[in-house]
Amino acid sequence: MDTVTKRKLNSEEIFAALKVFITEVIGEEFVEDMDITRESSFTKDLEMDSIEIVSFSEKVKAHFGENIDFTGWLSGMDLDQLINLKLDDIIKHIETCQ
Amino acid sequence: MARFAFIVPPLTGHVNPTLSLGAELLQRGHEVGWISLDASLGNRLPQGGQLLLLQYDQNDVEKRDSEQYLDQITKKNVSGIESIKFLYEEVLIPLNRYMFEGITIILDAFKPDVIINDHQLFSGAIAAYKMQIPYATSVTAPAAVKMMEDLPGVHEWEIRQIVALQQELGIPYDRAIVCSEALTMIFTSKDFFGDMSLPPWYKFIGPVIQHRATVTSFNWEKLYHLGDVPRILVSIGTTFDHTYKKEFFQKVIDALGNEPVSVVVVSDPTLFEEWPDNFVVQERIPQLELLPHLDAVVCHGGHNTVCESLSHGLPLVVIPIAYDQSHVAGRVIQVESGVRLNYKRFKAAHLHTAVWEILRNPAYKEAAKRIQFSFEQSGGAVTAANLLEELVQQPAYNQAFYRNRFY
Repeated sequence: MDTVTKRKLNSEEIFAALKVFITEVIGEEFVEDMDITRESSFTKDLEMDSIEIVSFSEKVKAHFGENIDFTGWLSGMDLDQLINLKLDDIIKHIETCQ
Repeated sequence: MARFAFIVPPLTGHVNPTLSLGAELLQRGHEVGWISLDASLGNRLPQGGQLLLLQYDQNDVEKRDSEQYLDQITKKNVSGIESIKFLYEEVLIPLNRYMFEGITIILDAFKPDVIINDHQLFSGAIAAYKMQIPYATSVTAPAAVKMMEDLPGVHEWEIRQIVALQQELGIPYDRAIVCSEALTMIFTSKDFFGDMSLPPWYKFIGPVIQHRATVTSFNWEKLYHLGDVPRILVSIGTTFDHTYKKEFFQKVIDALGNEPVSVVVVSDPTLFEEWPDNFVVQERIPQLELLPHLDAVVCHGGHNTVCESLSHGLPLVVIPIAYDQSHVAGRVIQVESGVRLNYKRFKAAHLHTAVWEILRNPAYKEAAKRIQFSFEQSGGAVTAANLLEELVQQPAYNQAFYRNRFY
């Protein structure tokens, strides 16, 4: 997961990568029963708690590189934004930054 | 000799460390009072401790109000990050707003030399600050401190709620004063807390668990009758209501019922008509008396229960439900003293596997013992009492104390 992706990824590719990280964080057997979409929210739909979200964000950072400043972006979010955070928000953020 | 006043919320995990610390101060000949809304705290205080019960003039409406604040936290099923919003908006801020005036009246009469406010009893610090009484802060849920690093946006949100309350109660600054810059005591070790640079007034005291009065009986006979098998405690603390408990303990029954282990469960026994034969179920337990007889603990990741377990070198299965528990569970994993399950997702089979994993793999117990050692090195109640005594000042110094600190 240390590879820093140089080429620009399209939103499908980013979505696929994020799904891999989610699987790593919450475990394959649980993901099988879930329908992960771009509209999935981290807290309500994926039922991730704060430590899982932090661990997910570390994986995104390691994969997409420092210039995305994903943790910085996440750090700036206040409670309501974090509660409502969807996969699509992250995909858009990465698209804008790369 | 000096006079100390603890100001505590009606939350067991927040009160317990103050009981041990208060006992140490009482043994040194100091006068110690506890300001609380909870009349039942009187039975649990160390000998000589005074309950300074916060109650407003007893017309019925006020009394009902006070009772409502006692168990507000158990009234709603919350989990995950959303629970932090609930905790502040519906529990802590209203509780603090309600208690502020009463705290001021009690402090006026008791005239303590030093106040020790719980880090979530913001109004205790606000009252101390306004009355110019030196105060120390007791941090019994240290994830609130670590939040600055983990999720700074959430930390800032928390600070905004606190500052708004401070302003409402008459402190015009835009920075939080609720953690004392004279002394903020963190009731864990640096090893368990994790790396983070903090100002010098944050002191790692370790958990303080000595001199706690035992007020709860326990069915020891049944536990011993269950034979020489591994003994496990299962507790999800005191702040979650029945709906949670039923769902949770059904999984515990499926996972551990009739396994070659004995299981002590903290729950209302009437939750189920029948429990497995290898279970001992009690609504309250003498947790500190029981822990030396156990082999492992399954819990919700409440900081108090986790630290008490690690103080006895016991490995853990942590299943965080809400508030700071996800963070505490994260620390248990970081220091390798246990296994974590997701409350929403775990099934009985996962719990079964996790319990046998921490019982059979000695690495978890060894890691728990390393944390136990770090706790023992942290100084505990003796160090904390020394630090508190240093805050006792001659009245003439009080003004200088405040001038130097805040300008």
